[in-house]
Amino acid sequence: MTVDPRPWQPGAPAGGSPFPPRARSFAELVADLWPAAPPPADPADVLETHGTTVIAVKFDGGVLNVGDRRATANMAVMFDRAEKVIVLDDTTLMAVSGSFARAMEIARYLQHAFSYYRRTELQEMSLEGKISEVSRAIANNLPMALQGIGAFLPVVSAYDPRTNEGRIFFYDGMGARFETAEFGVAGSGAERIRGAFDYIIRTRKPFREMALDEALRECLILLDIAADLDAATGGFAKVLPVAKAITRDGVLEIEPERMRRALAGVTSLPDRARMA
Amino acid sequence: MAYTPYDWHLSLQQRTEYIEERLRGGSPVVGTSLAAGILLLTIHQTQRKIFEIYDRLMFAGIGSQSDLETTRIAAIDFAHREGFLRSPHDVTAQRLVGSVLGPALKRAFADPFAAPFVFRGLFAELGETPAEDQFFVLNYDGEFRRLQRVAAIGGSDEAEREMLAALRSSSGDDLGTALRRGLEAWAVGQLLARGSGDEAQPPGPGQIRATIEEALADGTFEAGLLERTTRRSQRFRLLAPAEFEPALAEYRSRG
Repeated sequence: MTVDPRPWQPGAPAGGSPFPPRARSFAELVADLWPAAPPPADPADVLETHGTTVIAVKFDGGVLNVGDRRATANMAVMFDRAEKVIVLDDTTLMAVSGSFARAMEIARYLQHAFSYYRRTELQEMSLEGKISEVSRAIANNLPMALQGIGAFLPVVSAYDPRTNEGRIFFYDGMGARFETAEFGVAGSGAERIRGAFDYIIRTRKPFREMALDEALRECLILLDIAADLDAATGGFAKVLPVAKAITRDGVLEIEPERMRRALAGVTSLPDRARMA
Repeated sequence: MAYTPYDWHLSLQQRTEYIEERLRGGSPVVGTSLAAGILLLTIHQTQRKIFEIYDRLMFAGIGSQSDLETTRIAAIDFAHREGFLRSPHDVTAQRLVGSVLGPALKRAFADPFAAPFVFRGLFAELGETPAEDQFFVLNYDGEFRRLQRVAAIGGSDEAEREMLAALRSSSGDDLGTALRRGLEAWAVGQLLARGSGDEAQPPGPGQIRATIEEALADGTFEAGLLERTTRRSQRFRLLAPAEFEPALAEYRSRG
């Protein structure tokens, strides 16, 4: 890993300016700060920490993201307070699964790339532009992912100011992006619960018609099922899950009190005797 | 023909005169540290003057449009590289002005073969409390000074001195008071830099009022705020007319 530790210093004057030539993008500005692709290694030698299950659903007013707090490395629980729902900016959330190291680094990259664009260009990057930045970050990560480490998959949620609605995008390992109408789910528990979303939509109602607390309750039940069926997904017994919503007014963090109220609805299901 | 130390000295003198003369016409910028955050204000003709640099940094300047723009971009570049490499806490105005922009401006100023850089900038850094807020005034020759509570840049040294005196002479922590007091200081700077004030004594209230009324009729009022407490991830915003117009109402009477 080669990271230049020197602070940035203006180089030789270029074209009469005392400062170095302008970077075309944040990616170019920090191109030399990225770690080089590691030499081929046996993935079994690398103890990599993974985030597990994250969920994004639309609700009446925006998009809700919920994630468990567990991060695992092989069979070990590395951390039980992981924050897997990351605020990229005031209209965009990213829920991450997979390689924790790469996901956090790329989240920081995206936060800076979006604000760099806003500050230099004096306008907000378009939603389409942001979604493409995420695609590029995943595609750039492919050489690492092909070696069996560093793969991560995000679900990106945004409030689209042009259409006044929440939108959800999920990605494949090469950076292809897909927009989903109702929900997105990623991580080790995702495949275990994917069908349950459809069941809820068909038998109850679409998530987009639910109020925030109703959608939150459904998400917590789904996360609970994921924790039951997937060894890597954490339950609620020790630490509250993390939930954030994106609405017209920006990011709304679900306070612990509201979360506890929603959890009470989950644990009152018959033959469940979980936490107090 | 040889280039002697005398030529070098003469060239610096001429550059200084040239740059100072061009800066004299710039519309001043006033900075105030409040409980709600840091406020920068000015009146501009056509182009926006107050900009966000980083999470807790904003900037406004006077001088040549393109020189202001290159400095703004260089500041944003440094802040984002540093914030990404280390953390947002490592991006400080002291580092930005003292070790990045200042030395580069100094080099450009001392190079007789480079075009003169017409620039005077005010950088504001938001702290956790008003006592931790900082202002840095950076000049075309790389010299800078640090200020707290209030700050101002204008077209001449005397203008800046009197603007600071005007700002310090009154108190009040609400936005309305800060806007009115800032506008008055702005007018003092405008009058003194353009040489229309009496050199012997600072401008009187009537003169200040007339200057503000005229400037508001011809130009556009602009105010940027770095908010100390906000739910948003973005602390910087330009004030909306609904927020500053009540404070300006008394100067709008001429219609």
